[in-house]
Amino acid sequence: MLLEVLHMSVFYDKAMLLNDVNLGVDEGELVSLVGPNGAGKSTLLRAITGLVARDREISKRSTGGEVILKGKIRFAGEEIQGVPAYQIVKRGLVHCPERRRPFREMAVRDNLLAGAYLKRDRVAKASDLEKVYTLFPVLKGRSSQVAGTLSGGEQQMLAIGRALMTEPKLLCIDEPSTGLAPILRKEVFTKIKEVSLLGITVLLVEQEVSAVFEMASRNYVLSSGRIIAEGTAESLLKDEVIRKTYLGL
Amino acid sequence: MLLDIVVSGLISGSMFALLAIGFSLIFGVARIVNIAHTAFYMVAAYCIFFFTQRMGLGSIISMLLAIVMVICLGLLTYRFFIEPIREHEAAVLIGTIALAIAMQEVMLLIFTGDFLSVPSLVGGFFSIMNVKIFYQQLLTFGAVVAVLLALWLMLMKTRLGLAIRCMAEDREVANLMGINERLVAMATMGISVGLAAFTGAVVVPLTIVNPFMWMEPLIIMMAVVVLGGLGSLKGSFLGAYILGFTEALVVFLIPKGAFLKGSVALSIMILVLILRPEGLFGIAFEEER
Repeated sequence: MLLEVLHMSVFYDKAMLLNDVNLGVDEGELVSLVGPNGAGKSTLLRAITGLVARDREISKRSTGGEVILKGKIRFAGEEIQGVPAYQIVKRGLVHCPERRRPFREMAVRDNLLAGAYLKRDRVAKASDLEKVYTLFPVLKGRSSQVAGTLSGGEQQMLAIGRALMTEPKLLCIDEPSTGLAPILRKEVFTKIKEVSLLGITVLLVEQEVSAVFEMASRNYVLSSGRIIAEGTAESLLKDEVIRKTYLGL
Repeated sequence: MLLDIVVSGLISGSMFALLAIGFSLIFGVARIVNIAHTAFYMVAAYCIFFFTQRMGLGSIISMLLAIVMVICLGLLTYRFFIEPIREHEAAVLIGTIALAIAMQEVMLLIFTGDFLSVPSLVGGFFSIMNVKIFYQQLLTFGAVVAVLLALWLMLMKTRLGLAIRCMAEDREVANLMGINERLVAMATMGISVGLAAFTGAVVVPLTIVNPFMWMEPLIIMMAVVVLGGLGSLKGSFLGAYILGFTEALVVFLIPKGAFLKGSVALSIMILVLILRPEGLFGIAFEEER
């Protein structure tokens, strides 16, 4: 297993956002995590990539509510639940956050270079930049444009490109299709499939269940902070209760 | 008259720009409202006074020593005083006011409240259209422009600059890119305080050194930052020159009106807050953290 989440529970100010979650992603897989709004999908990704731990540190030093993180996260054989967010990237685990969050005031190229922040080798940086431009030709044409002026779809490509610049083993993408027109959604999903074919393991959080089930090898269904089902698309769709109640299909 | 206004506006505008950009920088990166910012400028001025007048060191060496000392002082206070309360906005505000007053009192103890002065680095002047332009003014202006240019290059071309820009926009995503928030905040504090110290160093020959000299620039700097938009370096830069020229206009056009310059700056600040609270280039703060 490349990534293993064991008995993970997360509390924000006494609200339980995740309740004893177990999840695993194997090398080379494209795994999806689906579920209704507020199920805790984003929280799970934030916990995996160290952002919940960061919130906990901040809450300790301010008057904000208490944040509790329980359980273990194992990545490439090492436990990483105590590692600060900025050191997790180094290990090859990257998070492409919800709402894309490009650096809006910075040029597209600088956004991508921010992804290569940890790399010092200029030649390697340039070749990685070329790779991302090959994957997302739209970005190349807009390389000196300020990211805030890109369309939603282009911003999503940029966010994925920026994450790829960190040379991840595992790419966690949070709701890439939100707020995009149907055609663009399709394009984004195609690109994610391409990324997966490059040999990068993908953990994809989505609301668009039907599109995701077509591409993912395995799926987890999260509801109210608990994993309530796991399996291939076929097996999940066979279960009448899950199909109707949680997937809305 | 016109040239007088231009010279005076350019010089005070540049000083305000240096101060406001330093202040904006640390606000943008770490969300620290550092009220003590201009107090560091005051300390730098005293350092230079001490080194040149009491110890008889050369001007350039004194300036460098002063800047280095103030940066060290800034980093120490940041590490042991500001950083522990960083996530608590009200505490930072009150804490840095206390810090400024503490520095003022220490200077008062050491140097008393006497008005002190430091002679110009370069003497002499030349005249254009009957307006005296002192070489010191020219030197100050040149140094300020050089430092602003260096700062811009640092931000746009270096790795630290990239990290600073990322942090200023989205601290969480900066973490996801592998940027060490604490280190970058620390480095930014060093740069910010360094800019304040440099401002003190170049302004010293043109002003009077006393323990309360941090208050007036603080008020004008706040007005500049509000006008330009909190956290926007471009805004701070433009806002500084707008207020610099406004100040020059008030001083030269209103007979005996020099005392009004502070109130004009504050009036501009209040107007901006009423009409356009985000300032010229302010960023709408979405989700903080």
